[in-house]
Amino acid sequence: MEFEPVIVGFLCNWCSYTGADLAGTARIKHAPNLRTIRVMCSGRVDPTFVLKAFAAGADGVLVCGCHPGDCHYIEGNYKAMRRFELLKRMVAGYGIDERRLRLEWVSASEGERFARLVDEMTADLRRLGPCELAPTLVPWQSDLGTLAGEAAAAEREVTHG
Amino acid sequence: MSEDCRIGVYICNCGTNIAKVVNAEWVSAQVSGLPNVVCAHAYKYMCSNPGQELITRDIREQRLDRVVVAASSPRMHEPTFRKALEAAGLNPYLLEMANIREQCSWVHDDPRAASAKAADLTHAAIRRVRHHKPLEKREANYTPATLVLGGGIAGLTAAVELAEANQQVFLVERETRLGGNVGRADLTAPYLDSARDILTEKISRAKDSPRIEILTGTELVDLQGFVGNFRATVKSAAGDERELPVGAVLVCTGYQEFDATRIERLGYGRYPDVITSFELEKRLAEGRLETDDGRVPRYVSIVHCVGSRNPRYHPYCSRVCCMTALKYGHEIKSALPAATVTDIYVDMLSFGKGGEDLYRRTSELKTMFLMYEKGDPPRVRPAERGDDCGLLVQVNERLSGEIIDVPADLVVLMVGMEARSDSDEVARITGISRDPQGWFIESHPKLAPVSTATEGVYIAGCCQSPKDIPDSVAQARAAAAMVLAHVARGRIEIDARFAEVDDDLCSGCRMCNELCPYTAISFDAERRRSSVESALCKACGTCVAACPSGALSARHFTDDQIFDQIEGVLAWSSNR
Repeated sequence: MEFEPVIVGFLCNWCSYTGADLAGTARIKHAPNLRTIRVMCSGRVDPTFVLKAFAAGADGVLVCGCHPGDCHYIEGNYKAMRRFELLKRMVAGYGIDERRLRLEWVSASEGERFARLVDEMTADLRRLGPCELAPTLVPWQSDLGTLAGEAAAAEREVTHG
Repeated sequence: MSEDCRIGVYICNCGTNIAKVVNAEWVSAQVSGLPNVVCAHAYKYMCSNPGQELITRDIREQRLDRVVVAASSPRMHEPTFRKALEAAGLNPYLLEMANIREQCSWVHDDPRAASAKAADLTHAAIRRVRHHKPLEKREANYTPATLVLGGGIAGLTAAVELAEANQQVFLVERETRLGGNVGRADLTAPYLDSARDILTEKISRAKDSPRIEILTGTELVDLQGFVGNFRATVKSAAGDERELPVGAVLVCTGYQEFDATRIERLGYGRYPDVITSFELEKRLAEGRLETDDGRVPRYVSIVHCVGSRNPRYHPYCSRVCCMTALKYGHEIKSALPAATVTDIYVDMLSFGKGGEDLYRRTSELKTMFLMYEKGDPPRVRPAERGDDCGLLVQVNERLSGEIIDVPADLVVLMVGMEARSDSDEVARITGISRDPQGWFIESHPKLAPVSTATEGVYIAGCCQSPKDIPDSVAQARAAAAMVLAHVARGRIEIDARFAEVDDDLCSGCRMCNELCPYTAISFDAERRRSSVESALCKACGTCVAACPSGALSARHFTDDQIFDQIEGVLAWSSNR
């Protein structure tokens, strides 16, 4: 059976999620490989969400926001863009092919564009194959858990100490 | 997380909309064994009354404290199901929806893959809802004043409507006069009544009203705040700025006409007797139906779809031009009975009340109709020596298949409507989205035609898309009714979502302070802690994603909710 990638998508509520809904109302067929998580703004996408998705087995991660200048929250998408550049380097550092992580702008009227984007990314990931490097992130995930625990304990000590 | 929470899961068939592709029963079976799931049902129409009663009954009888509905987009029915939870005494925020219609059954053909996706999305919603907390909605006062942007027929109608319901209105118009594009027309189709009569009545009512403050030569430069509590900054031509406190904003900024010089072969701007529909309106209103050098035209050619229904310019139909062109047939024939009128058109779109009747009456006036191919507009050139006319219009005629030279002393171009060149600026200030053609986007094309993505900001008239006067007036009155509904309630319910700072975790790094576009975050220098003013926060979550200490959290979009959702969508993927 052909490999079917799983993509985790973080879509902003106002533009991209609405654009994805529009693809639905207009019945624009596209690949069923995306699993969408709605956020209010692409600026809410914490880099750890993306790393978490790769660690949990995603073959690709797609972050979508409003076009520059069109952000419902004025400039959240610019914040997302700045963060994304650093994130891309970090993800590459984990040995993840950079084509597995994309940041794209999809407006509320771009159902067609959204559908083509999902198709395109799915096709790219089919060629790339499964994201084999997920296991290398597993220890990272547990490290993070330990660190978070230690940090919280330290904070408690400092504040209540 | 609530370890011992009790979740009810409801999977909607949406008639056959979902069931046609997604096997709801199978999805229900997949999720029914998951931790905390007390019951899982597939049902024909979850949004129907019996569907909602299924939820409320289960909440009471099975002591559910969390609900997951897998159905249409939450943008459509989240309010519906939140009300169902409230009806059963449960906090509305203890609901999570999985979008298995718009983003699943409507866009996928393969039942296996679509059902698997629906199950993943439902699983993720179940994982997420375990972290949901009951949230209290906030309330705010409603400022009973409205900003109406644009003094055309839509803006005037809305302003008069609101004033008559005793509301204060600021009517802001960029131009120096009221009336907009209707003020440039002579008679209106299909009943040939005077545009001036329609407008004068509205304008004098607006001017006479003590509750309408008319600000011409003025534009909106800034809009801050939220529904019920906006602060609009307007600027006059003289440069004076003024801040207006308003509860709602009605955007009625209209359209501009297509620039006919863009289609070179029509000869507009090159031959003085090629004029636009608006230029003809002006001559008709002045009772001066003549050529540029003052002669009486014997031949008048009317070219339809100038800039409209042409993929090179605008793909859409401008809706009013066919009717207006037929109206010209009447006006020209009644002024100059001997004149030959030729309509050179693509398709005759005489929709709506009275439209077909006007088409029939114009045909009976013995005007000629010639059809041209979409995307192949006629070519205008000067007539030759010996011709008894000034211009020749060459038409590649579709029905006869022949190339025909139509004589003309006057060529009228039915210029289409396009989004105003300043629509991007208006959209940016008011937080409205635009479609690829620049028209403003409504919340829902059928169910919320005058609302926008920003609560308290409404659109009416041609700024949304080309439309005729009756439709613009209907939208304006609908938008006014939306405002009055808020006024009647008196207070505004504000979403319970906002960001908050955990004082114990905040390190006082101030990274978030600069990030907030609404200046909702302030820093207490003495305590060395940042804090969020919840009334100003719009819950975008940008600060939350940036906080290095994890001290900021976004209510209803917390890290643990999203982390578990990520795990949920991926949990089964490795087994398939």
